[in-house]
Amino acid sequence: MNENHRQVLQMLATGQITAEEAERLITALEKDQPMASPGAAESRHKAQSKYLRVVVDADDDDGPVRVNIRVPFQLLRAGVKLVSLIPELAKDKINEELAKNGLAVDVAQIRFEDLEGLVEHLDDLTVDVTEKQRKVRIFAE
Amino acid sequence: MIPLLVVARIGRAGRRGLPIWIPLFLIWLLLAPLALLLLPLFVIGCRVLRVRPFLALSVGWQLLCGLRRTHIEVATPAASVALRFL
Repeated sequence: MNENHRQVLQMLATGQITAEEAERLITALEKDQPMASPGAAESRHKAQSKYLRVVVDADDDDGPVRVNIRVPFQLLRAGVKLVSLIPELAKDKINEELAKNGLAVDVAQIRFEDLEGLVEHLDDLTVDVTEKQRKVRIFAE
Repeated sequence: MIPLLVVARIGRAGRRGLPIWIPLFLIWLLLAPLALLLLPLFVIGCRVLRVRPFLALSVGWQLLCGLRRTHIEVATPAASVALRFL
């Protein structure tokens, strides 16, 4: 539901317009937005999101700490392409180090397409962690 | 488009500090001839590491372009640092 629809419903609720007038207004609004299919709003939102924001607010013993990072999705997409540049010689060493840290991941099997898909879906990501004195928010905007 | 400016703010004890405008476009202009001179070495390095040089250049360029509009801000009670790529 967009803002115009909400306004019409509010006018109906407050008695400013009748149900028939509300219906006519909503029909007129829908005619004005012929592309407003169910997926259109979602795709429009996706098209608008350009940045990944990381905001951390914490109250340490010394005082408040604030971290505010805005990373363009373009940079993330370029970053995942680095996977295709990892030299064959380095992949074994990376795998060994990952295994030492408890991550049984074969870097050679990571495909750029998968990572790009992951970045695409970051658009829908919202992480909101609140502890006693710490608040972390990760979202797309 | 690659970032042309960086605005840095470094402050102490709750102060934001004055903005320092760093003209990256001047640095790029200075580095461009050097990059051309180092290009053969870069290609040889890529061959040794079995990495496609054009792909490496392309990814490097895209990373550089992606930096534009990146904003990093960290503020603690002791100091604050903010970087904005324009």
